[in-house]
Amino acid sequence: MIAALARPPLARLLRTPRSLATVGAWCVLSLGFALSAHVRGVAHGADHVLVDAYAALLLPLLVYTLVGAVVGTGSLSASTAPLVLFGAAPARAAAVTVGVAVLTSLAMGGALAALLAVVAHGASDPPAPGDALASAYAGALGGAAYAAFFALGTGFGRRGGLRVALLLVDWVLGRGRGALAILVPRAHVRNLLGGEAPLDLSPRASALALVVIAVAFALLAVRRGSRA
Amino acid sequence: MITLEGVAARRPPLTLARLTLSWGPGVHALVGAATDGGPLLLELIAGRARLRAGKLRVLDAGPSDPRVRRQLAWVTLQPPLPEALRVAEVLSMASTLRGEPPGDPALRLTALGVESLADRRVSTLAPEEARAVALAEALTSRAVRVLLLEEPLAGVDPRAAARVPELLHARGREGCAVLVATASLRDAGDVADDHLLLRAGAIVGRASSLDELTGFSPEGARVRILASDPRALLAALAREVEVEAIAQRDASVVARGPDVAALAAAVGRAVVASGVDVTEMRIEPPSLDEARAAAAGIASATYDAAYARTRAALGTAARDPS
Repeated sequence: MIAALARPPLARLLRTPRSLATVGAWCVLSLGFALSAHVRGVAHGADHVLVDAYAALLLPLLVYTLVGAVVGTGSLSASTAPLVLFGAAPARAAAVTVGVAVLTSLAMGGALAALLAVVAHGASDPPAPGDALASAYAGALGGAAYAAFFALGTGFGRRGGLRVALLLVDWVLGRGRGALAILVPRAHVRNLLGGEAPLDLSPRASALALVVIAVAFALLAVRRGSRA
Repeated sequence: MITLEGVAARRPPLTLARLTLSWGPGVHALVGAATDGGPLLLELIAGRARLRAGKLRVLDAGPSDPRVRRQLAWVTLQPPLPEALRVAEVLSMASTLRGEPPGDPALRLTALGVESLADRRVSTLAPEEARAVALAEALTSRAVRVLLLEEPLAGVDPRAAARVPELLHARGREGCAVLVATASLRDAGDVADDHLLLRAGAIVGRASSLDELTGFSPEGARVRILASDPRALLAALAREVEVEAIAQRDASVVARGPDVAALAAAVGRAVVASGVDVTEMRIEPPSLDEARAAAAGIASATYDAAYARTRAALGTAARDPS
């Protein structure tokens, strides 16, 4: 049953050339930053690329694209409408679609972060294998949290227009270190990757915050997406 | 199989009045424009619109019951299909979700003559082809026991449209409740066993056949004849006393008379007298407004007759207290 429900979102992701091209473009751009740091021989190359480019810009945009590809051109409830018409429970159909978005973003976010840590590795960075693993952990958690965050946005508006608004909210609130920054994924991802911490939270607290954001926003997205 | 008790719903500017209805196995038509409430009624039965009042049961449960949902198919004018999948994949996914063994998708599509669509991506289908696929899924699913269809003969691939009426009747005979919302009396006559006429969210009449409505139409009955020599037929029809009016439209002749049976007999005599070859002859359905007026006329006549009978019976009883 779950495999049947996951088929349409996976097909949308893997068979839509425009989505694949956009995801590919973000990955190529990320690698471009990493290679540039490597070529210039930046001592903290991995740190710079991961904090200043990946956490600040590339991860949110990559996940934004992935969620859009999984859900399609309409809203979350529109994307699950065919499944509901064939007898699936609306909540289950929405949960599987959100699940596909979260897992894909988790995998892509983790893999890309690890790749960037290796490619941009500088002389003053921690040893590459450990750094790649820690980056993958942070990228995966950040990817999952962002996916749930944007999935909620796809539940509003005929074309899931709130997704754009949430991208802007994350960008504006996540830049600072204040109390509002803890509400969005950006500040926590930055903290996990060695950047400034919101409210001086420990990396462990930020990791927990990302899990809470992922779970809470995913539940809200499912609730919203299962409404007719 | 479907029961409504005092059901009311609202979708501005339309309000469905308190409807009490029930449908069993067979093909049933809700006749009226989209703004008269047919599609909204289907949406309520599919569990996709909110009731404001009343009780709605489908297969002895609420319409959002998971068991009911799997046994219910709802085909709208623009059915949503997963655009990234191929048609065969859609049918196999639908079988899994409905909990039935996956049949051969091509065979299922053959039922409507659209088997060539099996390997096409949904995103490449024309709207008419997408409707045909949705209809094929609904009509060939063994799990489906309640079919809700909006305009099943309109906006459908022509290969499929010709086969839909027979398939609908077959599903009705197999014990399914098929509910068709249409604004076309001709389509309703072609596919349904009984007809419920709606106007602005209220029931204005019921009819078991369109002949019944045609006979009561204030305009009388109309017969369209497609003949080899329309002018010769026109001349022959002009000599028939049961024919009130005749008109030629391109290659066909339309005759009007007060009574369907007498008019058909008159047309038959005219055809024999003129010696023309008849390609097609069919009773023209009345317009939606004529049908509503006719149905109201039937209801009024039935009420008048019942009133008169009751009055006569009471009068007899009053005169004869024993």
